[in-house]
Amino acid sequence: MFENVEMPEGLNAETLEHLINPKNYGKIEDADGVGVALDEKTNEYVVFYTDLNAEGIENTKFATNGCQDTVVIGSMFTDMIIGNDLEYAQKAIGKMHEKLGELSAQQQVCADIVFTAYIASLQNIENKEKGEEEEMHVLKMKDSCESVQKEGEGE
Amino acid sequence: MNKTYQKKHELWLSTLFASFAINDETIKSRLYDFSQIAFRHMKWLGEQTLENGENYNYDRSMVLLKRNTVFEIIEALKNEIKAFHSFYPDNVLGKRIKTDDIYLLEYLSEVLSKEENNKEITAFNMQRKWEDRELEQSQIDALTLFLFDESYKEYELILIYAYMQARTKNILQFNVFQDLVDESHFHLKSFGNMMAKLGILALPRELHEMTYVVKDLDKFLVDGIAEEEAAKVMCKELSDAITDEKLSKFFDFINYQENYHIELMKKLL
Repeated sequence: MFENVEMPEGLNAETLEHLINPKNYGKIEDADGVGVALDEKTNEYVVFYTDLNAEGIENTKFATNGCQDTVVIGSMFTDMIIGNDLEYAQKAIGKMHEKLGELSAQQQVCADIVFTAYIASLQNIENKEKGEEEEMHVLKMKDSCESVQKEGEGE
Repeated sequence: MNKTYQKKHELWLSTLFASFAINDETIKSRLYDFSQIAFRHMKWLGEQTLENGENYNYDRSMVLLKRNTVFEIIEALKNEIKAFHSFYPDNVLGKRIKTDDIYLLEYLSEVLSKEENNKEITAFNMQRKWEDRELEQSQIDALTLFLFDESYKEYELILIYAYMQARTKNILQFNVFQDLVDESHFHLKSFGNMMAKLGILALPRELHEMTYVVKDLDKFLVDGIAEEEAAKVMCKELSDAITDEKLSKFFDFINYQENYHIELMKKLL
């Protein structure tokens, strides 16, 4: 089901299109779930909005102050999961991780921050269903883009 | 009032990006001047909003005026300006903005009256060719990514510094923010025009309030200095990688400017 997914390796036409017109970028007012993944070292974040319905993911949007890799991956990932169920979204993360294995460590951090924000948005929905008053669920990133960059420079 | 602010924000961007998209240097330069006036309108509307005890944000709802000819862009811009007139307040500032816009409309009509101005727009053709010079594909790719990253960054910095400037009572902060806004305007202009030359002109993405509502200025500055350092490295790498001497010198020039931004930011720490 994910055979034709192109990851942002090199600047192909699809990647350029995601750069020029990121899909599902922005916010959803009164979303069912709002999740944030935060890199405390760089203050880079991804905020992810998720609306669910009986079938699964009705709508998602994301926003970030991060780099273009984060934007392209966010654009691709949201596009893949809208209209699908949660299981499909989980598989999409796994499949994208496999493909990202071929990319740089920095790009993997960019992908992780997108996926973590999505997971945080689901956690926010779960917490609200339990009766918690939580505006958004924040997850802090273990790996930082900054440390990956420094490691790369040290090589 | 936030709606008026949002509309002015959109009009600033429409005028600015029309300036980038049009190749004719005279029209480009006039539109750029008008875009700077629109930015000042936006700043004054923001100040008035805060004085009235209200707030504004950087939400926007717009699409880039992607057209095939100069006349099509100018016509679209004219329509946008006319549509925004009803949003301006009925006071001295509103009157000032309206008279500026009327003058701009007259200028646009003047452009439309001369058929020789109606050239093709190449800013969106996705050709990714750098003038008539041969750059390797890897250089073009590096330049493309740099321009997307940095045009967003400059837009982001303009709005963050303007947001903080509107809310500070400290003269040093006010002046440093102004310098940084001015510097970022120049960088955005440079990068926007380069994107247009490459045929990949695109609007920077919208800012989320988590980006511009700064709760801890010191942390913001420390992070900002690190970002400026990273931008310097990117400029240096690009300057070294690109074989075109003129382009290479330009990135060295930007690199040295980033050095001074760091000094300006250190003044605030």
